[in-house]
Amino acid sequence: MKICLVCSQGGHLTEMLHLLDAFEGHEIVIITHDAKFTRTLETTYSFKTFFIKDITSESLRLDPLSILIHLLIISFGELRVFLKEKPDIIISTGSEIAIPICYLAKIFGKKVIFIESLCRVKELSATGKYIYPIADLFFVQWKSLSCKYKKAKYDGTIL
Amino acid sequence: MIFVTIGTTPFLRLIEKMDEIAGKVDEKVIMQIGYTKYKPKNAEYFDFKSYQEVKELCRKSKVVVCHGGIGSIITALETETPVITVPRKKKYGETPDDHDFELIEALLREGLVKVAYKMDELEDALKNIDMYPVKIKSDKKLVNALKDCLNHLDKSLKKR
Repeated sequence: MKICLVCSQGGHLTEMLHLLDAFEGHEIVIITHDAKFTRTLETTYSFKTFFIKDITSESLRLDPLSILIHLLIISFGELRVFLKEKPDIIISTGSEIAIPICYLAKIFGKKVIFIESLCRVKELSATGKYIYPIADLFFVQWKSLSCKYKKAKYDGTIL
Repeated sequence: MIFVTIGTTPFLRLIEKMDEIAGKVDEKVIMQIGYTKYKPKNAEYFDFKSYQEVKELCRKSKVVVCHGGIGSIITALETETPVITVPRKKKYGETPDDHDFELIEALLREGLVKVAYKMDELEDALKNIDMYPVKIKSDKKLVNALKDCLNHLDKSLKKR
């Protein structure tokens, strides 16, 4: 089975790396931000890596138009990866770079698994809220969140 | 050694404060300053290193000082190094919302981290760090749950 992992750089990626044992025996490709740190992923973990430019890391105040253009650019990039790699399943730990490819996967009848970040204790992240309705499996890492969202499954944490 | 790491958004207040502290204490201070523009004068620093290198630095350190970001916190905790977290604040333009507090307070309740809500509290928190043992019970439950789901899915795909 071919798995496409999608996550932003930083904490989202660190959480994903803590889950790697779960993907053993499957073929892995990963979509993440292009950053100094993520460029070492391909040699360290030997999975194919596709990069997306991160416009959020250097400036936090982005206007809605820049965000929309950013999401459109991401969508095209991810569509190309999706058509080229033909993954059976998309797995994401967030954040927004996961939204386009998760919807693309659903359109093409593929599965989507989302793992909400451990840092979301009382409420889902914005990305989580977008992906929740279409996810085949939706994990949260605090019991309180699984009570609030019926479909969300609590089954321990990455720790 | 004290290792300071702040993730992928700038955190000027913490880097400046830790640089000031580095000038006063005997302990060696190393900082991963990320995109922060300020360059420390009293501490060794770099912008980013790989996950493995950062983990190694955590392992060698007596304490890790970081923002309230999950990546830095779990990397430090898995090496069983005590963590002092300092929440980034929206009012200083450090985060789009105050979500660092949500995580820090939850981890504080579990006894996993120490917190310095204000920069002035950092020095005292560092002095008291020896009294704080780290115990992590890793049960790999989430990894196993995920693994089971994937194997189940793999089987159903092969049957088609």
